[in-house]
Amino acid sequence: MGFLDALPLTVMDWLRGLLGQGLPAWGVELVVGLIKVVLILVVAILPVIVLTWLERKVLARGQDRFGPNLAGPYGLVVAFADAIKILTKEDIIPQAADRQVFRFAPALVLIPTLLVFTVVPMGRGMIAADLNVGILFAVAIGSLAVIAIIAATWSSGNKYSLLSMFRSVAQLVSYELPMAFSVLTVVLVSGGLSTVRIVEAQVIPFALVMPIAAVTYFLASLAEANRSPFDLLLGESEIVAGHNLEYSGMRFAMFYIGEYAHIFVIGALTTTLFLGGYQGPILPGYMWFLIKTMAVVYVVLWIRCTWPRMRIDQLLDFSWKLLVPLNLANLMLVALVFKLAGTGLLGSLLSLVVNVGLLVAVGTFLVRRARSSTSRRTRALVLGEV
Amino acid sequence: MLGRGMLKGLWVTLQHTISSFTSGPRRFPKRYLDGPVPRPEPSTQGMLTLQYPFEKYEMWPRFRGVLVHLRDPETGQSRCTACMACVRACPHGVLTVTGEGKGRERRAKTYTYELGRCIFCRLCVESCRFDAIEMGQEYEFVSTTQDQTLNLEEMLALGDRSGIKHTGEAWGQVE
Amino acid sequence: MAFISEPRSLDTETVTINLGPHHPSTHGIFRLLATLDGETVVDVQPKMGYLHRGIEKIMEQRTYIQSIPLVDRLDYVCPLTNEHAFCHAVEKLAGLQVPERAEYIRVIMAELTRIMSHMLAVGFLWNELGATFTPMIYAYRQREFIFDIFEMATGARMFTNYMRPGGVAVDLPEGWMDLAVKVTDNLERFFDEFETLTAENEIFLARTIDIGVLPADLAINCSLSGPVLRASGVPYDVRVAEPYSVYDRFQWEVPTRPHGDTYDRYLQYLAEMRQSLSIVRQAMAALPDGPVMDEKARRLRPPKGEAYARIESPKGDLGFFIVSEGGAEPYRCRVRSTAQINLTALRQMVIGHTLQDLVVIFGSLNCTVADIDR
Repeated sequence: MGFLDALPLTVMDWLRGLLGQGLPAWGVELVVGLIKVVLILVVAILPVIVLTWLERKVLARGQDRFGPNLAGPYGLVVAFADAIKILTKEDIIPQAADRQVFRFAPALVLIPTLLVFTVVPMGRGMIAADLNVGILFAVAIGSLAVIAIIAATWSSGNKYSLLSMFRSVAQLVSYELPMAFSVLTVVLVSGGLSTVRIVEAQVIPFALVMPIAAVTYFLASLAEANRSPFDLLLGESEIVAGHNLEYSGMRFAMFYIGEYAHIFVIGALTTTLFLGGYQGPILPGYMWFLIKTMAVVYVVLWIRCTWPRMRIDQLLDFSWKLLVPLNLANLMLVALVFKLAGTGLLGSLLSLVVNVGLLVAVGTFLVRRARSSTSRRTRALVLGEV
Repeated sequence: MLGRGMLKGLWVTLQHTISSFTSGPRRFPKRYLDGPVPRPEPSTQGMLTLQYPFEKYEMWPRFRGVLVHLRDPETGQSRCTACMACVRACPHGVLTVTGEGKGRERRAKTYTYELGRCIFCRLCVESCRFDAIEMGQEYEFVSTTQDQTLNLEEMLALGDRSGIKHTGEAWGQVE
Repeated sequence: MAFISEPRSLDTETVTINLGPHHPSTHGIFRLLATLDGETVVDVQPKMGYLHRGIEKIMEQRTYIQSIPLVDRLDYVCPLTNEHAFCHAVEKLAGLQVPERAEYIRVIMAELTRIMSHMLAVGFLWNELGATFTPMIYAYRQREFIFDIFEMATGARMFTNYMRPGGVAVDLPEGWMDLAVKVTDNLERFFDEFETLTAENEIFLARTIDIGVLPADLAINCSLSGPVLRASGVPYDVRVAEPYSVYDRFQWEVPTRPHGDTYDRYLQYLAEMRQSLSIVRQAMAALPDGPVMDEKARRLRPPKGEAYARIESPKGDLGFFIVSEGGAEPYRCRVRSTAQINLTALRQMVIGHTLQDLVVIFGSLNCTVADIDR
């Protein structure tokens, strides 16, 4: 560990020593814990500020536009302008709304997303709580978001929101499964649920060892975060922003922050699980974590810039008929490979071969079935005939 | 075909993202504050955005902006004879003209132009037989009310600013 | 105890929702009253009239030439074809002869307008599919270049007020041809790029193939026209069926598609853009010299009578029926608006599809709300 790599830890230790001179041991832990909470909040909220700007810029550049460029240098202050605008707006509660739930739901949206950050290792030793069930915690807390969305939509008393709720429940529940399977594959190989352990196990990033699981996890977390092309929950062109349709002012801002924090969570967890987390040469660990996370975030935004939205039934088909069986097969094959060949280089290589083989097999199967199919849509999707 | 089309789409947007930094007349965040900006060459990629209040395009000579009066270089007055042709030609009744004098001596006394209702169709100019009015290059005339008007003096001043000598110069209609 | 043995179904009811008058997918003020069973559309009722401006009535108090700026505003996505149809009707009424050069200029302008309108149709279709504006903005970008050459020739980008009964208002300016050649060459590249971006996208294929199928007989019975009709396999184009202007002098095809679903309509738009581009190029190459205005048209007072003329506008068959009492104004003017009639098939097309498809099918019909209500 180089000096820069360990710098945050050194500062923390120095602080501990400083506090230890005047406080009892539990007091030190309390203060350090509080500092960690504040740091987590900063780490979760700061990217939101950057991401609101970044999303506009990435979309704009993909569309030959400038994006925000008047508020501050390169439009960087636009997020603050947004915040001021949104905070000064009237907080409207519709008459048909269930008032208590309506007020409570926005907070519920934000909390799970923030909680996930506690188990993300952001650098060597830089983790708020290294739970031994870390990744289980992340997945479990992440799926709480669905309750918040049900609360928000149902209490709004709006038909568009109601439609949005139907969609979101179906979508979030079905994408839990492929996500869990892909995480399970990682856990199997790394031999532990702790996020730090998963990162340390990645001498070769797992994205190269088991690409199927990596891509599945990425897509499933896009669906969890309601990002394009799975943004049915929002569906601007049909259900007019769905679940946050009736919200305004500060409560809307909560959804907004939650959405962008979730993008960062996608990046952070994908990095942790599949891209080797904070591991990397030369640069300190937290820099690598940030670079990898931002790369994933860019892909999320890039996809939003390019693809249209899926339809709800096709979305569910995609999960249940393709991702779930594929990942189940992948899980078993990878388990077999690592049992036989060990978790060393040989096992990793074999796992990659098995993954590619599985993809080829599935592709061949789909092409074969499509050849005998009479459905125009199937033929177009698989064979490219129109 | 099994995801190839989606990747091709991503490739196109990536190309656009990169070319927005590398090509196009306005790829740099610098703004051209000195004088009008020439129109960009037709292209499929690259940054073109005109940062409007800071930059402005050169208008085409035929651009139909605010109606102006042209000054007769001999008398220094408008050539308008208050023949009412423009008033009759206007689809929206934007113009109000009163004249004084008789026969060849007849001149416009007042000429009121309701800017807020004008649709810039140039039918008034087409109807003018006396080389008196033309559409200028100005387009930044925001009015908060429907009945903001320009009078003869203001329109003459605008005509001086536009540098137009004769009606239909840019339109190939001057004999 | 009979009721126990019977299978009990869940108690469900339909939901009626208002899509509009202010809804992101209707591009104007238009209301669709949709009855949904879950996500499935059971019934849909278009409610129009929110954007009624009474253009037909206003035209009775305007001279023929004063009506042209109004006609521009009927379907503001393709103003020049509206002008073309109107002028065509007035010429028929007044018996005017349009000079050759003017006809060619009209064809160039009308076909560029068609390309422009189709580009937006496809771009907005993608918007309704949920793409975050990207294809639409690429289309807008090219539309700006077309607007550039419109502005250079006519003085305005959208509301051009360029065609007149008996010809066009003025001749093309110097240097126009050079710029127009550059723009058309660029359009070719744009079509290729746009196809790469959109045509093969799997999500797009899954969302549009077999969605909103419009059978040929339904299309004919509903009196549909334009690309929507041709995408159902009916090779009917007013430019061929009833040649007007100089369309019979160019080499081009009427593309059709066999299935009549949303994807076919999308491909139809792309194919027609390429055909239009070919017509524009031929017309630019063959542009003759000469006057651009019939001298008789200077003082326009058509004789007593009536005339109906139609053209192929980007949206389909656009007709103007004009009754004259011999004055400077028409006694009555009636527009056969394409969008309104193309909308009639919407109900049959969407029933059984989901709400998401309803929006997409409505988008693929390419109705401008201003044209529906007039």
